[in-house]
Amino acid sequence: MKIEGVTIEDTFAEAFTMRVARLIITGRNAKWAREAAVKLTGFATSVIGCKCEAGIERELTGDETPDGRPGVSVLFLTLDKESLPEQLIVRIGQTVLTCPTTACFDGLTLAPDRLAVGKALRVFGDGFQASKVIGGKRYWRLPVMEGEFLVEETFGMQKGVGGGNFLILAENADAALAAAEAAVVAMTNLPGVILPFPGGVVRSGSKVGSKRYKNMIATTNDPFDPTLRAITASQVPVGVNSVLEIVLDGTDAPAIEAAMRVGIRAACRPGVVAITAGNYGGKLGPHHFHLRKILA
Amino acid sequence: MSDAVVLTLATAPTRPLVADCIAADRFTSLGARDIGQLPVTHGGRRARLGDFFTVTGERSATLRIAGDLTKVEGIGAGMAGGDLVVDGSVGRDLGRAMAGGRIDVHGSAGENAGGALPGAARGMTGGEIVIRGGAGAQAGAAARRGLIVVTGDAGPQAGRGMIAGTVLVFGRAAAGAGRFLKRGSIVALGAIDRPATFRYACTYRPPHLPLLFRYLRTRYGLAMGDPQITGRYERYSGDLAELGKGEILQWVAE
Repeated sequence: MKIEGVTIEDTFAEAFTMRVARLIITGRNAKWAREAAVKLTGFATSVIGCKCEAGIERELTGDETPDGRPGVSVLFLTLDKESLPEQLIVRIGQTVLTCPTTACFDGLTLAPDRLAVGKALRVFGDGFQASKVIGGKRYWRLPVMEGEFLVEETFGMQKGVGGGNFLILAENADAALAAAEAAVVAMTNLPGVILPFPGGVVRSGSKVGSKRYKNMIATTNDPFDPTLRAITASQVPVGVNSVLEIVLDGTDAPAIEAAMRVGIRAACRPGVVAITAGNYGGKLGPHHFHLRKILA
Repeated sequence: MSDAVVLTLATAPTRPLVADCIAADRFTSLGARDIGQLPVTHGGRRARLGDFFTVTGERSATLRIAGDLTKVEGIGAGMAGGDLVVDGSVGRDLGRAMAGGRIDVHGSAGENAGGALPGAARGMTGGEIVIRGGAGAQAGAAARRGLIVVTGDAGPQAGRGMIAGTVLVFGRAAAGAGRFLKRGSIVALGAIDRPATFRYACTYRPPHLPLLFRYLRTRYGLAMGDPQITGRYERYSGDLAELGKGEILQWVAE
């Protein structure tokens, strides 16, 4: 299969079930909502080292937020249900609570699993906090030096999907980066999907474990490192000199699939030789995104 | 089961009619005949609801009442759920000690709306009361939780002794509003005669008010202006003769 002269490998991306929460952060203006969201989602690229994965889903207008102010929607994922509230409490407490003018609301209101995030954060108010029930939901008002920080008492949690991916194999680094950037632009603001890595792009794809160091849980993906083509069981085709990866997390498999479809098509441009995907033989993750099936 | 139970006042009471049997959630399991048999008190004498109201519909959590109900007391008392809409003004004790549900009065209400039984420590413990007119004395007195909205003026001592919850007054709040309040909020969009035991804290934009106002606009169609939604409020902490963790939020017209 070829798109714009780019070979689509007959393979699949293997992804995992994770737990996901959606946060709506609002601010006096879009700048301050974004400032909080950027800090909140910082150092949240991979559960391997960050314990969570997070990213900005999209920006919201005042008509789309609970308090009528501009906002940002953030998706937040962890591998298990226990660590999601832990990460949310720590991160919201250090990044959104601290950010001027912001408020924080639940974006998965229909999810039956509820995480008592605001309820935990309320104690920062040192007994001066107050709650209000509005439309059946409880909100906590925390007194802060600026005025008050408003946070919803509970946040919804549901099963999500982490680790959707595709690899861009290009003739050179410039072409790989241009294709990756085009893919990211095409996937930005799609509902239910985030790209947790810097700029949405990964240059250091990893494999499970290590060939040399016993204590490493992930090491460089040497089959796709062009510099190692001559000395490893390389999967880098001749003519390919740079590989970049796009990793996608989302609220469900259809959202990931829709984003991969758009992103891969955008990445098929001059200088790109092939698009492939990372998997573990289908033995580890329950979600398999077959590239040719998605693009058919 | 009907979409709604409708009570229409057929025989106007000549004396106070205590009809605290009227509550939306209580009618969910009652047929029209059973509803008509519910006990009321007219001028201290026992009577039946059907002696005064015609009943249409049955077994519904939505209840509508129509007529001049200014002599009817205790409507929605102890209500725990459902929707009660009143087309007209009502007497005292509207939603007294209610625990849940919504009461929407297209008219005024008498004393003690959302308040407590005589001698009881707590008034309403949940739910919402919207009064599209004025309210008598002690609206929301001793409320433990819940929301009372008065689009007109509120009589003396609104929110007296509140433990928590919110009383929102669009018009003027008469003397003694919030007296002996422990926690809870009185939000005044108009003038308020504030007790001396409340102390000014600051002028700011309480972040929960836009949420509340947008909810009221959406749920009840109340005309909330942007100046009130996005405006600044003076915060007065009190009652300092009590716990002092309550507040009066007074809108600052700019």
